[in-house]
Amino acid sequence: MLILRTLLFGPAHGHTIARAIERGSEDVLQVEHGSLYPALHRLVKQGLLSARDGLSENNRQARYYSLTAKGRRRLHEETSKWDRLTRAIGGILRPAAEEGKL
Amino acid sequence: MRFWQRREQRLSDEIEEHLVLETAENVAAGMSPEDARAAALRKLGSVLRIKEDTRAVWGWTWIERLRQDLRYGARALARDPGFTFVAVVSLAVGVGVTCAMFSVADLALLRPLPVPRPDEVLTVGSSRTGDTPDILQASYPDYRDLRDRLRSFQALAGYAFTRVRFEKQPGAPPEVKTAMTVTGNFFRTLEVEPELGRGFLPEEDGVPGRNAVVVLSHSFWRQEFDADSSVLGRQLRINGIDFTVVGVAPEQFTSVDQWMHPAFYVPAMMSPRLNPDRGSAGAIGDLESRDARFLTLKGRLKPGVSVEQARAEVAAIGTALARSYPETNRHFTMSARTELETRTRLTPNIAVTVAMVLVLAAAILMAACANVAGLLTSRVPARAREMAVRLALGARRMRLVRQLITESALLAAAGGVLGVALGYASVAFLDRFTYVSDLPVMISLRMDERVLLVGLAAAVASVFLFGLVPAFRSARADLVTDLKNTSATRNVRRLWGRDILVIGQVAIALLLLTVASLMHLGFREQLRAGPGYRTDHVLTMEFDPSLVRYTSARTAQFYRDLRDRVRELPGVRSVTLASFLPLTQEFQINPIVPEGYQFPEGVDSARVLSSRVDEHYFDTLAVPIVEGRPFRATDDADAPRVAIVNQALAAQYWPGRSPVGHRFRLDGTGGPWVEIVGVAGNGKYLQLVGETPTGFLYLPYAQHLRSEMILMVHSAGDPAGLTAPIRDLVRRLDPEQPVFEVRTMEAFFQQGAVRSAQLLIQFIAAMGVMGMVLALSGLYGLVAYAVSARTREIGIRMAIGARQGQVLRMVLRRGLVLGASGVAIGVVLSAGMRQVLESAVPAGGAVTGYALVVPVVLAVTMLAALIPALRASRIDPAIVLRYE
Repeated sequence: MLILRTLLFGPAHGHTIARAIERGSEDVLQVEHGSLYPALHRLVKQGLLSARDGLSENNRQARYYSLTAKGRRRLHEETSKWDRLTRAIGGILRPAAEEGKL
Repeated sequence: MRFWQRREQRLSDEIEEHLVLETAENVAAGMSPEDARAAALRKLGSVLRIKEDTRAVWGWTWIERLRQDLRYGARALARDPGFTFVAVVSLAVGVGVTCAMFSVADLALLRPLPVPRPDEVLTVGSSRTGDTPDILQASYPDYRDLRDRLRSFQALAGYAFTRVRFEKQPGAPPEVKTAMTVTGNFFRTLEVEPELGRGFLPEEDGVPGRNAVVVLSHSFWRQEFDADSSVLGRQLRINGIDFTVVGVAPEQFTSVDQWMHPAFYVPAMMSPRLNPDRGSAGAIGDLESRDARFLTLKGRLKPGVSVEQARAEVAAIGTALARSYPETNRHFTMSARTELETRTRLTPNIAVTVAMVLVLAAAILMAACANVAGLLTSRVPARAREMAVRLALGARRMRLVRQLITESALLAAAGGVLGVALGYASVAFLDRFTYVSDLPVMISLRMDERVLLVGLAAAVASVFLFGLVPAFRSARADLVTDLKNTSATRNVRRLWGRDILVIGQVAIALLLLTVASLMHLGFREQLRAGPGYRTDHVLTMEFDPSLVRYTSARTAQFYRDLRDRVRELPGVRSVTLASFLPLTQEFQINPIVPEGYQFPEGVDSARVLSSRVDEHYFDTLAVPIVEGRPFRATDDADAPRVAIVNQALAAQYWPGRSPVGHRFRLDGTGGPWVEIVGVAGNGKYLQLVGETPTGFLYLPYAQHLRSEMILMVHSAGDPAGLTAPIRDLVRRLDPEQPVFEVRTMEAFFQQGAVRSAQLLIQFIAAMGVMGMVLALSGLYGLVAYAVSARTREIGIRMAIGARQGQVLRMVLRRGLVLGASGVAIGVVLSAGMRQVLESAVPAGGAVTGYALVVPVVLAVTMLAALIPALRASRIDPAIVLRYE
């Protein structure tokens, strides 16, 4: 899901995605970079991402991943589910219901 | 293929690209380039694992993994060609021997009847205790009663072999064929569907002599009529009678008898017409007498009925019939036997030999598997380091185990394929054994599907036997220990498992070699002693004038003329007529009652092998007369009845005194008195090897005229050269008279008797040698492994001051102990085997046998242990210690 979100704003290659997740979570989520790639390929296989070759920042061959329409839809579903979940837990932890923010 | 390669390449590039970027960031953050790269690698995690996981995502990984495992396994095997060669060959030997031996067992004993659901078919009939051969037979009236009364069988049919004269067309030269007379329900009982036409109808077997119909066997149809389908309705002349062809048997139905295949089948009701004047009672044409037991009965059980139930019912009916017809059935018991029982009882030594051979083959297979297991285990230390490194790099243990199993599977596949090929080759080689005869005896050794299955099962079993243990041991390797690769830290504990393996192999090999040598000695002894009659320079040919419908008077005249004229041919030393050719299966048996001899309870006569011979027999075949006199021309039909017995018979019924002058009743208690005038030397009558001295009775031909006789000619030169002149002579006497079974005694004796025994012995010896080779390689491997594991220790010892000789002794000791134990156990085992052997081959000179084999085996095992030990003693301590 995190990968999908990261790619919402446009295609990126593996290293960028890894960095983005780390930064976005304020370095709370330390991703073992190695587990990224199998996940990326799995998402490609599931049809949620598409991959193509391109040129990276330092003019080297790199593989860029981007969201497909199906991926976008899945992201929406997963995000809503996540919101509902956090609202439910939040309702129990903090009785005064708060708006879940994302 | 290219797609996959590209995908792999892209992934590698992607990962590399990631590393570059990460490294760049690290450098930007202030690290040195080396540290930056190291940090990036650490962050990335195991590259191997990334690749594997991604590949897992891609799917179809099991195929790719398999391909990779296979490639890797093949490379690993190729890296160590010595080991691979020995392992594959060992396995091939084991599997090949199993296949070949199973084929032999299949032919000799195990092949089921070529009918649907052969387990349901039992043999039914009567026998008397002490009968040789031990077969079940029945008379036609008994068959009728059994058929009508039995509830356990859905159908019961009978058959008998008979020799007939066959003319393809009237006037064509006559040939002699073996036919089968069968009851009308024969094909239906066996559920054999004719390929062409039909079997017999029930009414065709109703009235004696009425329906002259015939069903052809498939091979006969192919041979004589070129598989022409218009053969139905054709007329064949058999024994002068025109038979109509009504059907052709299917190809797979070769026969209901294990060895003999008839040319065609005729209804049993036709046998009186086929054989009108056969002479003595009990002949095949006799459908009336209750004691004319010439039929063999086969019945198919009703579904759900067990063999035991059928046996019980048959025995009960037998008892009832004995009560109703005491004169004919009193001493007979009826029973039912399975096919395997029938064959085992008919030729018990074949059954024993087959069992022995199968056990030995299994032993070889086990030795081969043990060998390969040992070889694989000895590779474990060498590969431990490799496994450790790969584990450290991130490979998963399961993957390693799978790869090792794949490697073993490759080994097993290679060995299995080679083994099956070896099996085929040996079957083809053994199939060259021929049987010299006109008889349609089919010794066809073939590898059928069952044998193939056995071979493959052996190979697969071997994989799991020797593949898994070393695989799991490798995978459990302790990384630290193995990476350090010091033999000092490796535990040189006694590998009890391998010790026992080697001891077992040596024992088995010794057993095989001892068996082979004992059999060889025994056989040579028997061969040297000779069969008791002349086998060189003798030509034999058979006649049966009843096939051309001669009366007995005309037959006697024919044989007189034949003998006189043949005697005058140049190159003929002497001529004789006899009714039995030794070592063939067409023997005669006569019951005799020696005067004054007390038989045990329930027995009223002794059944002895017999032959009707003329006065020249003992001279022509060089059978010595040790007491009394041979037959004379004056012992004819008008003279008092006389006979000659052999020494064995004399010893049995006239012990301690000369039987000359004594009398016995011939053919039962009511038969005529016969006086014994001479005693002949013993001989081999039914088989060359394994036959204990058997009683034999000679009767003068002139007093017991017979239609089927064998002409035996003692020639001055090559006996085969007389064939043409004698055939001419016969043709001039009567062009319609068939001549058959023309063979030289020499060829017959060599091929049939000698060759088969030799073949068996050679094969066992070959298995022994192979077993020995396997055992030796196992021992060698074990000692070599021990040396390599103790190299450092040896180096230290030598550095401290141990001499070469001491090192040698130290290493050698273990190998010698193993070898000696193996030999000891082998000797004990073979002592036990001798009991079993005695029945198959009376072992001669047991001490000589052991004296031959044991020292050789000991010497060879010492050699196998010596070679690596010598290498150990030559270890240069400086070199060895420097490695540490």
